[in-house]
Amino acid sequence: MKPAPTRIELLQGTLDVLILRTLLTGPSHGHAIAKHIQRTSEDLLQVETGSLYPALHRLEAKGWIDASWELSDKAKRAKFYRLTALGRKQLNIEQSKWQAFSRAMELILNPLDPEVQ
Amino acid sequence: MTSFFRKLSWLSRRRQKEDELQEELQFHLDEESEQRRAEGMATAEASRVARRDLGNIELLKDNTRDTWGWTAAEHLVQDVRFGARMLRKSPGFTAVAVATLALGLGVNATVFTVSNAVLFKGFPLVDRNDRILYICGCTAYGGNVSYPDFQDWRAQAKSFAGMAAVADLRITLNDNSGFPEIYTASQVTANTFQLLGRRPMIGRDFTPSDETPGAAPVAILSYRFWERRYGKEADIIGRTVRVDGAPTTVIGVMPEGFFFPQNQDLWVPLTPTPDLRKRAARGLWFAFGRMAGGVTINSARAEMETIGSRLARVYSRTNRGYVPTIHNFREFFLGPNAVILYASLWGAVAFVLLIACANLANLTLDRAMGRSREISVRIALGAGHWRILRQLLVENMLLSGLGGFLGWWIAKWGVGTYELAAANPSQPWFHHVVDYSMGYRAFAYLIAISLGTGLLFGIAPALRLSKLDVNATWKDGGRGVTGGRRGKPLSALLVTAEMALAIVLLAGAGVMIRSFLNVYTADLGVNTTNILTALLKVPDATYPQASFFARLKTRLEAIPGVESIAIANTIPTAGSLKFPYELAGATQLEEQRRPKLSALLISPAYFRTLGSTVLSGREFNNADGASGIPVVIVNRWFADKYWPQENPLGKRLRLFNGKTPEAWRTVVGVVPNIVQNAATRQESDPLVYLPYREKPAGGMWLFARTRVPPGKLGTTFRRELQASDPDLTIWLGPYSLSERLSWTYWNRRLYGVLLLILAALALLLASVGLYALIAHSVSRRTQEIGIRMAIGATARDIRKLVFMQGMLPLGMGLILGLAGSIAVNRVLKAVLIQVSPADPITLIASSATLILAAMLGCFIPARRAMRIDPVIALRHD
Repeated sequence: MKPAPTRIELLQGTLDVLILRTLLTGPSHGHAIAKHIQRTSEDLLQVETGSLYPALHRLEAKGWIDASWELSDKAKRAKFYRLTALGRKQLNIEQSKWQAFSRAMELILNPLDPEVQ
Repeated sequence: MTSFFRKLSWLSRRRQKEDELQEELQFHLDEESEQRRAEGMATAEASRVARRDLGNIELLKDNTRDTWGWTAAEHLVQDVRFGARMLRKSPGFTAVAVATLALGLGVNATVFTVSNAVLFKGFPLVDRNDRILYICGCTAYGGNVSYPDFQDWRAQAKSFAGMAAVADLRITLNDNSGFPEIYTASQVTANTFQLLGRRPMIGRDFTPSDETPGAAPVAILSYRFWERRYGKEADIIGRTVRVDGAPTTVIGVMPEGFFFPQNQDLWVPLTPTPDLRKRAARGLWFAFGRMAGGVTINSARAEMETIGSRLARVYSRTNRGYVPTIHNFREFFLGPNAVILYASLWGAVAFVLLIACANLANLTLDRAMGRSREISVRIALGAGHWRILRQLLVENMLLSGLGGFLGWWIAKWGVGTYELAAANPSQPWFHHVVDYSMGYRAFAYLIAISLGTGLLFGIAPALRLSKLDVNATWKDGGRGVTGGRRGKPLSALLVTAEMALAIVLLAGAGVMIRSFLNVYTADLGVNTTNILTALLKVPDATYPQASFFARLKTRLEAIPGVESIAIANTIPTAGSLKFPYELAGATQLEEQRRPKLSALLISPAYFRTLGSTVLSGREFNNADGASGIPVVIVNRWFADKYWPQENPLGKRLRLFNGKTPEAWRTVVGVVPNIVQNAATRQESDPLVYLPYREKPAGGMWLFARTRVPPGKLGTTFRRELQASDPDLTIWLGPYSLSERLSWTYWNRRLYGVLLLILAALALLLASVGLYALIAHSVSRRTQEIGIRMAIGATARDIRKLVFMQGMLPLGMGLILGLAGSIAVNRVLKAVLIQVSPADPITLIASSATLILAAMLGCFIPARRAMRIDPVIALRHD
């Protein structure tokens, strides 16, 4: 296995919003969600399986996502998660929070760059 | 809410969720290994890597399961179940731990209940006791409160929503139903009950018109009195009784359990008589007020002091230097020493609990070490440290919960026993006024200390275990971290602390007991065995006392078993009258500087009856005091002080009645010192005795020396007294003089014994603690001891080895404890009689007791060590 580029430890609470965002594109099972996050972040974010499944079940308990057993693309039974209306609302809230946060971080870390939005 | 219901529905399909999780994870593994294979890995390698990437699968499952329910609560239930199982598995440990805790917690709850009742609850059925302040003028004047001062305070003070005054008196009550009897009554201002927030349960309250001079006399009865004397007859209201001869109408009955400020039988209005209206006559017991909103005791005190000094300026003749002082319930009725005594009891039970805690910490530490294998297995299987820690704490909480439960019953018993033991007959009011019931406060306190205790004795072992090094434990042959390096210093330290606490308690109890013994064994100058005594109320000052006494004497001396009879106006140790005096031939002093002298009024045969012998001269005879030259008897102290090396007989002195000199008296006898004016019995002052016929008194103590135990004659005595004069009432008694005198040291004995019991408990727990430490170490070192014996150590060497291990904590504890007790005992200084707080005898005795107990604690394990058979020991696992 080739050494990954500098991996980033997931910040507390970020996994939830990543999962919600991933599910915005459509229902998906746990493994696919992990791969998607990893791929989309250009391998910068590594999702620990140890925290992925507890997170999925926690979001399900909160009612932000729903689960059902369906057949995967390889025709195997898999547990698929989909976003609920409540989850969509939550994603909006979280998203704007993160955008504000990342903008604030940018402004502080690169104060001289006027182009940064 | 949705989340709550979802979790609720999941609860019923736990099994299914479990299977689904398994399937979900399996799917993940399959996907992952398939992906790896696609990237070109060998099948076996691919599934291995996938498996590794998933990490600790049990931990993962556990974390996931946590999201399904109310984790914390569920884990707690699991922990409690598991804990209960573990405790059931070692009943010996559980029994010892619970018993220790129950004792420690029980005595704490007992002292809490008792001191809460005595110091804080105040009067029963009184609204907001803490807002009531008691005002008196306890200054150099000695007296209390005068009616005019009270009126000025009431008119001027703004700190109080209202102010009332109380005077205490004894009355004779006559009605048609029986003989006249003496009752206790309080004279109170009409607003008293209203200020206290209680109304009579039947009838009416006093009104201001009841206390105007000349108003028809009225009285309100206490429930108990109404019940006892009138059988709760409802038509009591409006009935007329004769109170000290005056026809009085009963207007009300107070509710059951209401007493203020003593356990009196009735209340009558405080009517200002001309005598009471004198500012110099400070005849009221106290005034009290209810603080107005926002007022604190300090602001009220400041205001009253201002008013006091204003009155002192205006009425400088009577009020100079007279400052009204303000107290709360505890300060006024119990005095400063009560707080010291209860605080020291509290300290003592805290020590007992700490010792119990230290013992339990050691026990659980041992147990935890024994369980290190179990725990390392659990850690290896993925249990988090917090989970392990919590599990151990839950076990401790279970123990302390059980201990607290039993402790509640111990406390119930303890409070009941205390109530009986503390019922000091000299303060009968106290017994009724104090409400010893164990309310929610005691319950909350018990729960709080139980939880606190569980935490305290659980924290050290729990932290130790949760830091357990799994690998080391396994390398150790799974036998556990042998305690060895890390366990023992902590255990020894705990036992050292126990020893130190025990010695502090022993020394504290020791000085209290010594102090009591000093009072108890003090030489009063009288022989108190077989003396019967009673206080008689002589009907009137003009009553022909001499003939009355002569009649009484003849009658009583005729009772078989009675040797001699005498009367006096006070009993030994109690206070006496004081008169200014001067000696013949001494320089005359101006009125203010004239010294005062204690004087007793006595009858003939007084000294003989009390078992004292006249040193020189004679006792009074029947003629003294009636005619002839005035006489006086002096005690030895007096004679030695004023006429050393001279014969006092025939010397002369005179007393002053206020400013007026009386006739010169001739000394006719010198008698040994009999202690008066000293409840603690440590000093006797110069005393003179006067013939009782000279100064008629309202109450006289009767003494009878008997040949049989005085208790047996009580009934006969009472009957003969009543027969000799129907107007005569027995105010107090009859009881034996030694019983009556025991009242003065009742509290001293009570607190001494209580502390001694607690100290004994502490000693027991501490030596058990030492025993456990040594016994444990012997069993751990069986193999080592076996080797030592095999290579030639004698039984003596082994004994020494074991003892040395106990001596270190003992020695250290002794040093710390002795230093501590010298510091701590200083608190008791105010209540100690003729004992230094650092009394060497007490310290030595306490140390010796502790050493003895510790030796015993070491001896048993040492004997076991000496009996170890090397052959068996070497095979010891």
